[in-house]
Amino acid sequence: MNPLTYIPQLFSSGITIGAIYALVALGFVTISRASQIINFAQGEFVMLGGVITFFLLKVVNLPYPLAALVAIMIVILIGFMMHLSVIYPLRKASILILLMATLGASIFLSSTSGLIFGTLPKALPSFSGEQPLQIGEISVLPQSVWVLVSTFILLIFLYLLSHRTLLGKAMEASSTDPLGADLLGISRSLMVFLAFGVSAGVGAFAGILITPIFFTSYSSGTLLGLKGFVAAVLGGWGKNSGAILGGFVLGMVESLSLAFIPSGYKDAVAFIILLLILYFRPKGILGSPFIDSRRW
Amino acid sequence: MVEQIPPRPPLGKEGWRDWRSMKTKSKSEFRKRDIFYLVPLWLLSLIAPDPYLYHKKGFKKKDFFYLGAICLAPLIWFDPHFHHLMVLAGIYAILSLGLSLFMGYAGQISLGHAAFFGIGAYTTAILTTQCALPTIVAFSASAVSAAGIAYLIGRPILKLKGYFLALATLGFGEIFLVIIRESTDLTGGVIGIFGIPWFSVLGFSFDTYLKQYYLIWGVLIGLFIFSKNLVRSKVGRALLAVAASEDAASSVGINVSRIKLEIFVLGAAFAGMAGSLFSYVMSTANPEAFSLGLTVLIVMMVILGGMGNLYGPIAGAILLTWLMDLLSKYQEYSLPIYGVILILLLIFFPDGIGTRLNVRVIYLIGYWAKKKKRDEGKL
Repeated sequence: MNPLTYIPQLFSSGITIGAIYALVALGFVTISRASQIINFAQGEFVMLGGVITFFLLKVVNLPYPLAALVAIMIVILIGFMMHLSVIYPLRKASILILLMATLGASIFLSSTSGLIFGTLPKALPSFSGEQPLQIGEISVLPQSVWVLVSTFILLIFLYLLSHRTLLGKAMEASSTDPLGADLLGISRSLMVFLAFGVSAGVGAFAGILITPIFFTSYSSGTLLGLKGFVAAVLGGWGKNSGAILGGFVLGMVESLSLAFIPSGYKDAVAFIILLLILYFRPKGILGSPFIDSRRW
Repeated sequence: MVEQIPPRPPLGKEGWRDWRSMKTKSKSEFRKRDIFYLVPLWLLSLIAPDPYLYHKKGFKKKDFFYLGAICLAPLIWFDPHFHHLMVLAGIYAILSLGLSLFMGYAGQISLGHAAFFGIGAYTTAILTTQCALPTIVAFSASAVSAAGIAYLIGRPILKLKGYFLALATLGFGEIFLVIIRESTDLTGGVIGIFGIPWFSVLGFSFDTYLKQYYLIWGVLIGLFIFSKNLVRSKVGRALLAVAASEDAASSVGINVSRIKLEIFVLGAAFAGMAGSLFSYVMSTANPEAFSLGLTVLIVMMVILGGMGNLYGPIAGAILLTWLMDLLSKYQEYSLPIYGVILILLLIFFPDGIGTRLNVRVIYLIGYWAKKKKRDEGKL
């Protein structure tokens, strides 16, 4: 079979997974806008969002929208608790220590979720129907449309939060100029705390969107988080628009690569892109506000 | 009118104290209770890693104490499980010794050393099972192949710093895992390679845990002496300069990128040797052993032992191997407990258990020495 015939199909699935990568990357960027922390447990928030919704839907028997909402709330609480118990005590530590601490938190979250919710992969029902829509020669799952629309709404919300409110500006100030933020009376710890809540919420939302399409198990968070990070670096580290562009580009490249290489190597594609982008253009596609002015 | 500066009070009188006079004074006073903490402190000073190691030259009494303990421990505690545990600890110690040179001395971050460990293990596995080469040749080939791949990957990657270096090395580790899983005809995929023979030199086969213990700790001691000489040499001082400030280091004529690459390649060669020994000891090689979990483990060993200290990674390796063994009793609860312990250790001992303990001990000595005077209201 000629691989060119199913390239449009791969393209559409690439956009879907790209939207998810964009959301995960936005979680990274939200935290990095408030402080210079990279939270490796971001992927676990995504996994927890899907798994907790599944638990609430199937075991507690809540209606779907309520289950999703409660799951997002729980994950936001977990994000707050993670900041208070891991990041806040280590706020003056070196980046290596912070990196290892978030990796430790990631190990804790994924294994605990395996313990509580079981280790089997879980799939939520679609938001509306399983019947694929036919657009020309491409068949699109309704869930993919939901993913795109919800991502778009969330992006607008995050854009308004970070560029049009005092809170978003305070968050950005506490990252770009810590001393200036202190002088203006901005509590940097509070900003990082809130950023953790926002990024956990975005992560959980992404998890709920993705679980009907791809199976979510307790161990799938780490890889998703790493790929989200790759997307954030690819688009331009520290920029919302960069994260979105990087997410879609990464999703499409990864999906289109299936036409040319065996499917098992798919996971390596993202990291090869990471190595290439770090070598040739560490600023990312759109450029990064952080790369020139500080260590990176 | 010029304001008069008040004259300095004379030495040893009220108001101004010279710390030297205070020290001599407390030294001359002998109190019986000093004995109670001096003996345990002396014992602790034999065991605890020294935080200011690179100020010392040569080998001290402590080193011979360690050497004796390493040689005699398996004979005194004759338990196969203990031997096996210490074999694993020795392998991880070789691995984290190489990483410690890169992270502790050169001040870089690498989360990809598990991949070099895996490259060493798979090179040995493939050469001994498919090509039937002698084990010592496969051992050398593992070190060389890990170092060669480190050279190729290090050239572009080591331009990066901080988080991005960490991420790039992590990405390399993931690529390695994917390649190992997918190239099934060479590496056996997720199942791995079985039936790797025991390590043997000139017909002498290391087939019991005790023999393996002496093999691995012998290799470790050799590499340790090599590293100790290295960090006391010109290269070692250049590494410390690079860790302190790359700009300042290059301004005094150190080729920063070359020295970082050299130490990265050296660390990878250590990891390759460790991987080779690992596959001989376990007689299998499968990709699960070289995942992100191993990276976290060895970086924790380096951090807990104390950065910039060669005894540290060995102590950290023994400590964490024992911890993992203790935790494995709790079955499915082991990973959550492990995560919590990692975070707690990082919060309370961010610069190594030994360093922090020594600082604590010095503080306690000062506290005890001054307590009497403080009680009398003199201090």
